Amino acid sequence: MHKYRARVVCSAMLVVALTALSLAGTAQAKLTGAFTRFAQCPYKNTEVRKCIQSVTESGEVVLGSKKVPIVSPVTLQGGAGPVDEITEMSKFYAATNGVTLSKTPQNVPGGLLGIVPDASSPPLVKALIKFFLENSLTGVNSTLELAKTASDISISEFRIAAEEGVGLKIPVKVHLENPFLGKNCYVGSSTSPITWNMTSATTAPPAPNKAISGFGGEGEFLEEARIVVLKNNKIVDNAWSAPAPTGCGGILSFLVTPIIKAQLGTTSAGYNTAILKGTVSSSPAASVKKNDEEHP
Amino acid sequence: MRTKATALGAALAALAVLCALFATSASAAPAWKFESKSLEGTEVILGGALESSMTIPGLTTKCENFLYKLTIKNEAGTGKGEVTEVPLYNCTTDSPVCTVDKIGAEKLPWPSKLTTVSTTPYIIIEGVKVGIDYGGVECAVGETLVTVTGTAGGLVDNVTETATFNSSSFTATGTSLKALSSKIQWNGVFPTEAFQWHREQALSVS
Repeated sequence: MHKYRARVVCSAMLVVALTALSLAGTAQAKLTGAFTRFAQCPYKNTEVRKCIQSVTESGEVVLGSKKVPIVSPVTLQGGAGPVDEITEMSKFYAATNGVTLSKTPQNVPGGLLGIVPDASSPPLVKALIKFFLENSLTGVNSTLELAKTASDISISEFRIAAEEGVGLKIPVKVHLENPFLGKNCYVGSSTSPITWNMTSATTAPPAPNKAISGFGGEGEFLEEARIVVLKNNKIVDNAWSAPAPTGCGGILSFLVTPIIKAQLGTTSAGYNTAILKGTVSSSPAASVKKNDEEHP
Repeated sequence: MRTKATALGAALAALAVLCALFATSASAAPAWKFESKSLEGTEVILGGALESSMTIPGLTTKCENFLYKLTIKNEAGTGKGEVTEVPLYNCTTDSPVCTVDKIGAEKLPWPSKLTTVSTTPYIIIEGVKVGIDYGGVECAVGETLVTVTGTAGGLVDNVTETATFNSSSFTATGTSLKALSSKIQWNGVFPTEAFQWHREQALSVS
């Protein structure tokens, strides 16, 4: 009787183990070759028409008087739906791992003293800054984050390639990070996002900014023309406005936030710039799905 | 003082030689000729490409029938013209997943002119615009209109009476065609034959 029970239990455990293994197998995409870049594309969603991966390798974000160069790659990935006949843009679909826009910290030149200068700060802030300086906690990172959901992004890779109109509309917020600034120091929020209307064509910003031009990129096809890649792509926007920073300095926010606001200077339209340079890849969801199915 | 004058003279002479060299290599405008006589009035050239393909790295599009209609004339001794029709048929790609659903020349006529580069005659076609509608659910540019734009320079061969467009002719004339905002390669050999008043007459450019 015991022997029989043990056999049944063992068999059941084996079935569970095999089921778990097979489920793990189906959950993990087995994309090959150049398709691996679309591993996080929701291509199984029937509404998704294209898989998109855009890696920004360099560029800069100028917010008022502060310029932050992009030195660490930032990835935007996910899917694009059908092209809307009116807007000529496609709704974006979130990456399957939830990382639609990678949170990549970029170093803010000048560090903490660059955005909270010792001289113009009240005594309490000054004392705290001194502590952070003495403990070498002066580095400040600026991280670009999605301010809304992925579906609030819209994209037209055709416009990007053709250097026409807005190619990427994306709501973002800038997270300023340093122990002194606390965890909630942001410029932009989900209710008041910074909206970038990125173009590979030429901008027409309000003064004092001047027109700048993007570049569609050098087109190249991969995987027998199932993937199109735009290398050295450059998309720009220098007509956006940014709200005032919020939540900087933890419990001293009421003291620190106004200092940072003053340091950033005017952040209304005409004073800010975003230049993103990198590589944009896209492939029909059908191609990516087929590649997945061919390599189970 | 004399040395200075000699040096200046030498410099001027060198400059003159350089100018002469550049004048030769730059465009000394040739004219259209039939049976070695300069064309008077206008003439229409009709023909079809012997072979023609356009390549964006990774995707080549070929057309079996690439016809053209070119109206030519000489203006102040310089050969000029207008490409008025470019019907394109039976176009395919080298990709197993991309088809050519529609292809057509846009914004015709395209102005053209003759020029010489280092004594070799070339035809320059400006304002080229060709729209290609690719199809295929697995094609990266399926349901997308890809537009080829730019200026094309082709080598004119008086012996074979052809105009040949390839990377060498584009480089020699400093011209280029673009699609998806990158330079593309276009290869084509186009016979040139008069259709109106100078039928079966030898066409040359000099």
